[in-house]
Amino acid sequence: MSLPAPATALLVAEAVTAGYDPDLPIVRGASLRVAPGEILAVLGPNGAGKSTFIKALAGIVPIGSGHVLLGDHDITHVAPHLRPRMGLAFVPQTENVFGTLSVTDNLKIAGDALADRTVAASRMAEMFDAFPDLAHARALQAGRLSGGQRQMLAVARALIGRPRVLMLDEPSAGLSPKLVSEVFRRLDRIRESGVAIVLVEQNVRAALALADRALVLVEGLNRHEGLARSMADDPVVAELYLGIHRRAAEALV
Amino acid sequence: MSLQFLVDGTVAGATIGLGAIGVTLTYSILRFANFAHGEFIAWGAYATLAASAAMGLLVGHATPPLGPFSFTWLTLCAAVIAMGFTGGLALGLDWLLFRRLRDKGESIIAIMASFGASMALRSLLEALFTAQPTYFTRALQIARPLGFGLRATPNQMVLVVLAGLLMIGVHLFMTRTATGRGMRAVSENPTLARVAGIDVTRVIRITWMIGGALACASGVVVGLLVQVRPFMGFDLLLPLFAAAILGGIGSVPGAVVGGFTVGLAEAAAVAFVGAQWRGAVAFAVLIAVLLVKPAGLFGRRA
Ligand SMILES: Nc1ncnc2c1ncn2[C@@H]1O[C@H](COP(=O)(O)OP(=O)(O)OP(=O)(O)O)[C@@H](O)[C@H]1O
Ligand SMILES: [Mg+2]
Repeated sequence: MSLPAPATALLVAEAVTAGYDPDLPIVRGASLRVAPGEILAVLGPNGAGKSTFIKALAGIVPIGSGHVLLGDHDITHVAPHLRPRMGLAFVPQTENVFGTLSVTDNLKIAGDALADRTVAASRMAEMFDAFPDLAHARALQAGRLSGGQRQMLAVARALIGRPRVLMLDEPSAGLSPKLVSEVFRRLDRIRESGVAIVLVEQNVRAALALADRALVLVEGLNRHEGLARSMADDPVVAELYLGIHRRAAEALV
Repeated sequence: MSLQFLVDGTVAGATIGLGAIGVTLTYSILRFANFAHGEFIAWGAYATLAASAAMGLLVGHATPPLGPFSFTWLTLCAAVIAMGFTGGLALGLDWLLFRRLRDKGESIIAIMASFGASMALRSLLEALFTAQPTYFTRALQIARPLGFGLRATPNQMVLVVLAGLLMIGVHLFMTRTATGRGMRAVSENPTLARVAGIDVTRVIRITWMIGGALACASGVVVGLLVQVRPFMGFDLLLPLFAAAILGGIGSVPGAVVGGFTVGLAEAAAVAFVGAQWRGAVAFAVLIAVLLVKPAGLFGRRA
């Protein structure tokens, strides 16, 4: 497998700066591109700005400079609530379901963004078929779901709009190894349907095993990029990435 | 022992409940306590008076009261128009004042600003209509027996029923419609709401409209049953907040149950303890409930 030609990239971010305070950019010129049917893993040490980057792509952290393209559209400054309708879905890391609402209402909310009510209803039925656990819990408040079910609900919510690009922030966080592989199997199948996936992960090994390409972000900048397979075996990357980790861990002790 | 306090408490509860829905929705969706909410009640009552006077002039002759009630169909039409007006007033205040503070993320300043807005709106009413009380009608209504020694006027009965229908309507709106779902979603997590495709700006506008319209309805009930004066809403402010907190912030059924609880507790205090204890009792009930259920009766994340 080779790097996708630029023409096939569906989501393109170029030299993006973003942060919570205009004077203090966290993402300092990061770039990524991802093609249909491809999984891009975004890796990097704690505090590298991975979450901030992906939130900027979702439109909920302001972008200072650079631009974001979805297909032919420049979406750099498009309001976040319009992005799911354009085919860009985002699953945040924490608080990614509405805990006080029922499972059904969580999915209906995503369906409400679609123009057609009957389409929304049939998509919801599809989700309940694809995630039987959710179907059994449909009347339950989402806050009462288990961690794994909650993650499934968050993914299902994002899929209701049939996104062309799906972005996820650490979907494996807090899940047991068994559930992690279940979530990743789902992502694999979603990729097979032609969706472009941006996967921010701490679980480097699992992410590299699943992804096609990977991007290592350090201090808000692209540090390393390449095929996931070769990165998994690359001692330099492992040292770069894990070394930073080891030092951070030592600093804590 | 007379149970008449039940009737008075139910009527008061209906007015408090209508107002508390707006308080609880703005509190949970906009994340600040709007102390100008009482003024929406007073402005709604005056707007209804003004609209029915204007419509009376247009009709050109006196309209007879509706059935056993002391108001005319003009009053009802005027109330509907005034509900739209008061919703617009709330929206205008947000546009002029709260929107800017919200963009800066200064919730405590928004609360202080709402105090200022409350005073300004009230003074404006006094300037326009004087501080003297006024009335929708001076016709006296005979209270009719309801059984168990209870008595209520036809006005009281129909207004409690209308208020109840409005509350049920809002509840259905919040639970059954896309916009209502969006409002509940924004009240829990505005950022996730945006990610999920909800237009938060639109939700905020609708919240103000609903809060303003219901405050107006509350003002009309008070106006028809008691009197209309510039302080009528401000005087309800503490019961409104007590009811909203008692019911659990963000919950429409909670605001309604909280409203009736506070209304009945106040009426019982007046009947059995003494009128001077009215305000204190609302707070005693509030504290008692919060000790047992800190998130309120219908509160989330208890
Ligand atoms: N809401 C926020 N407001 C202000 N600063 C924030 C906020 N969220 C994160 N930051 C800061 O931005 C920097 C990057 O954080 P970010 O969450 O993007 O990193 P990350 O790469 O996702 O880290 P992790 O692997 O721990 O998830 C950190 O220094 C963090 O303190
Ligand atoms: Mg992160």
